[in-house]
Amino acid sequence: MTGAGYAVIVLLALLLFGGGLLTGRRTARPVRTSDVGTPVEHATFETLHTASLAAPPLRAGLTEESARRASRRLRSLLGTDALCLTDRDRILVWDGEGDHHGRHIMDQVQGVLATGRDTAFRSECDDLDCPLRWAVAVPLTVDHRVLGTLIAYAPRESAVLARAAGEVARWVCVQLELAELDRSRTQLIEAEIRALRAQISPHFIFNSLAAIASFVRTDPEQARELLLEFADFTRYSFRSHGDFTTLADELHSIDQYLALVRARFGERLSVTLQVAPEVLPVALPFLCLQPLVENAVKHGLEGAVTSSRITISALDAGSEAEVVIEDDGTGMDPERLRHILRGEGGKSTGIGLLNVDERLRQVYGDDYGLVIETGIGAGMRITVRLPKYRAGVHGS
Amino acid sequence: MRPLPRYRTQSEIDEQTALGGAYVRSLMRSQLRAGLTAFTGLAVVVGTLPLVFEALHSSAVVWGVLGFAAYPPLTLLAWWYVRRAERNERDFARLVEGRSAQ
Amino acid sequence: MSRTYAVAAVAAVVLATVLVGGFGLRISRTTSDFYVASRTVRPRLNAAAISGEYLSAASFLGIAGLVLVHGPDMLWYPVGYTAGYLVLLVFVAAPLRRSGAYTLPDFAEGRLESRQVRRLVSVLVVGAGWLYLVPQLQGAGLTLKILTGAPGWLGDVLVASVVVLAVAAGGMRSITFVQVFQYWLKLTALLVPAIFLVLAWQGDGRPRVTFDEQLSVFRADHPLYATYGLIVATFLGTMGLPHVVVRFYTSPNGRDARRTTVAVLALIGVFYLLPPVYGALGRLYAPELIHGGDADAAVLLLPARVIGGLGGDLLGALIAGGAFAAFLSTASGLTMAVAGVITQDVLPSRGVRHFRLATVLAISVPLAGSLIVSRVPVADSVGMAFAVSASSFCPLLVLGIWWRRLTPPGAVAGLVLGGGSALLSVAITVSGAVRPPGWPHALLAWPAVWSVPVGFLAMILVSLATPGRIPAGTNAAMTRFHLPEALTTGRHR
Repeated sequence: MTGAGYAVIVLLALLLFGGGLLTGRRTARPVRTSDVGTPVEHATFETLHTASLAAPPLRAGLTEESARRASRRLRSLLGTDALCLTDRDRILVWDGEGDHHGRHIMDQVQGVLATGRDTAFRSECDDLDCPLRWAVAVPLTVDHRVLGTLIAYAPRESAVLARAAGEVARWVCVQLELAELDRSRTQLIEAEIRALRAQISPHFIFNSLAAIASFVRTDPEQARELLLEFADFTRYSFRSHGDFTTLADELHSIDQYLALVRARFGERLSVTLQVAPEVLPVALPFLCLQPLVENAVKHGLEGAVTSSRITISALDAGSEAEVVIEDDGTGMDPERLRHILRGEGGKSTGIGLLNVDERLRQVYGDDYGLVIETGIGAGMRITVRLPKYRAGVHGS
Repeated sequence: MRPLPRYRTQSEIDEQTALGGAYVRSLMRSQLRAGLTAFTGLAVVVGTLPLVFEALHSSAVVWGVLGFAAYPPLTLLAWWYVRRAERNERDFARLVEGRSAQ
Repeated sequence: MSRTYAVAAVAAVVLATVLVGGFGLRISRTTSDFYVASRTVRPRLNAAAISGEYLSAASFLGIAGLVLVHGPDMLWYPVGYTAGYLVLLVFVAAPLRRSGAYTLPDFAEGRLESRQVRRLVSVLVVGAGWLYLVPQLQGAGLTLKILTGAPGWLGDVLVASVVVLAVAAGGMRSITFVQVFQYWLKLTALLVPAIFLVLAWQGDGRPRVTFDEQLSVFRADHPLYATYGLIVATFLGTMGLPHVVVRFYTSPNGRDARRTTVAVLALIGVFYLLPPVYGALGRLYAPELIHGGDADAAVLLLPARVIGGLGGDLLGALIAGGAFAAFLSTASGLTMAVAGVITQDVLPSRGVRHFRLATVLAISVPLAGSLIVSRVPVADSVGMAFAVSASSFCPLLVLGIWWRRLTPPGAVAGLVLGGGSALLSVAITVSGAVRPPGWPHALLAWPAVWSVPVGFLAMILVSLATPGRIPAGTNAAMTRFHLPEALTTGRHR
């Protein structure tokens, strides 16, 4: 065999080796992200799953009930023998063994509650068999307020547990913050309805009473009737029960509102109503058309306009009712309207429109928001679609 | 201007307590009894009529009964039922509201 | 020429329907009648609307035809159509209204809290609605053919297009007044000619009407069984018909729903006194129809036969107009009800445009069916829709309203076994796979006698077997269904 022969063999061997290396690497790569997952991935999944199970109870806020339901999941996330959740005054739940430690615990976490800093301490335990010798306490904070603490126990000092407890506590805090957000959102909507009802009162009540007063001498009969309308209208607006009403009742209230408005503006305002009687029993959120009519009246009589025409129609459209409120008043710049509906319009403008839009979307879904057609000087046309039936919506 | 006060028993019903449930069930029973009475009356007559017609073999009778005589009793039976059902409801409302008067 | 009058009458009815539908809104321009306009529909008005929608081609033409051919036993049809409202009244009317449901799928979802049951009910509602629409369209075709000699398919297409145009183009903005108008039109269109016909018959020396058995055509080889099948189907089926359920939504409350139903009983009872007169006179003056098919045409032909001349032509035109009112009112009511279900449960997203699409869909399928399927007597095929409704919706409504232990799996079992078997029987009968004589045909052609118990039993047994699935809101639903309005509104106005 010649040197050249050896060279060829070595070259072939090298090629073979190189090829093997390349294919090896290529086939080796998918192993890392195997279709069935690596142990690390499995551990991640398990952690995520446990976390997801603990989340729903916590979304109700930090209470004994939610703490009890979440604690088991949290303990398995941390992998400790015992876990304790407290609020500012007392233990909410002790999960795991050794709950005799609970006696001293509120004293031990006073520092955490006061400063909002993580603390570790030896558990002073007289029982020599008790495995819980060391604990780490982490604050649960929402908006810089310490709501409570999370305390994890271990047989001996453990930096890993300290870090893990910190991370879990932070995750719990996020859930609690979301809970707070949920609560404040409902509160906000309730407050808005209240504001809406209250908003009717000051200037409208004053104007109506002034108009009624002007009739007392000239036309006592008319004044008496208007006063009754006024009483009825306010009774409906301030009623305390039920979130829903029927179209018939809402239209009736609008009728009373318009009677009071006309007492003031007389012939300047003309109103046409078209009703398909089959849609009158439709259930809808309480006070969600009246603000639209009020808006139309305001727009119609704004500025130098001498007279205004408002058309209200409620038509049958199969499984839905279609309510259209139209005025020929000053209209509005569509861009400004868009701002208002995004909630950027400021306090005074169009809180009614925004509130109605939000409540409709909340009850019926995003397909059912207000549809508004308008332009400067072109009047305004608001269309509301109401499904004839929606589970949970019952007018009373 | 507050809405009328809600009665005590009525809040039991609204909140679906055991007591409220008992009230609603008793109303349902009385209404079902009224409905079943009317329905049984109808079913007995209508269930036997084809057999009677078969036995009599007279088309004039069939004609008279089904063509004309059937409709007034149907309407009267319906009218009776409505009166009975509305009376049940009035009695029930009195029962519920009356308790609060104590 | 009678053709001209008849065409004019039909055109007038179509035009009036569209006009009343489009502009029959309550309009007020002063505040004082604003209140009147926004007042809910009173029981009597609503009852006339329900009757107007309910009295279909089967009532207007079909009953007289059946009586003419098969004798007075066929009078069970009108009695059943009427008595169905009594059963509806005593078990369903007030609670159904109080449930707030617009359609049967709404009711199923509200009571059983299950989207699955809702979807199943939707399928059955659309099926029953289509089954009911086919004879309406076929009746229109027949009427137009007899009146004008136009090809048979033209009437089907005409009614379907009028309905689509009126509903889909936004013309039916308020259907209540259309239906009220149609009721009185139909009553007049049968009553006035009937008076003249009876006078003519008296002038003729009162010839005796015979219902000899030899003359009658046997309709079934098991007539007694068929009679009971008919009774069960019509008595229990009325409550589930989609266009009937939808109209109860118009009542402001449960109490008014009851009173409305009594008024409906009276109104359709009065109407049903008339078709038998036509059937009997048809025996005398149009005997060739007994064996000649197209007996449904008897009502249309009689005025020309008995009275003749200009008077006969005018009365014939009046009847033709009434018949078209019958097709239009029932077809438009059914189409709207079926289209409502299709928009909500079949088409993906919602919107007005989708409702128009659904309307086209709702009527084009039965239109195709009416053109393809061979002509079954109108009243017979309507009877089949009743059978399907009685075996599926009746158990669902009655048990849903009165029985706390109903569960979603139970409801599904009852709907599938009861309604499904009835639907299948009807399909086999219409396809002609099983022909008379013999029990198999009788059982399949009048399935209600066995399919209604099957539906009830399946619902009860499966519900009892799945006690864990009783919906959480059952008690709340029962309270809502049965509590009188005086207690639920919390204020007395």
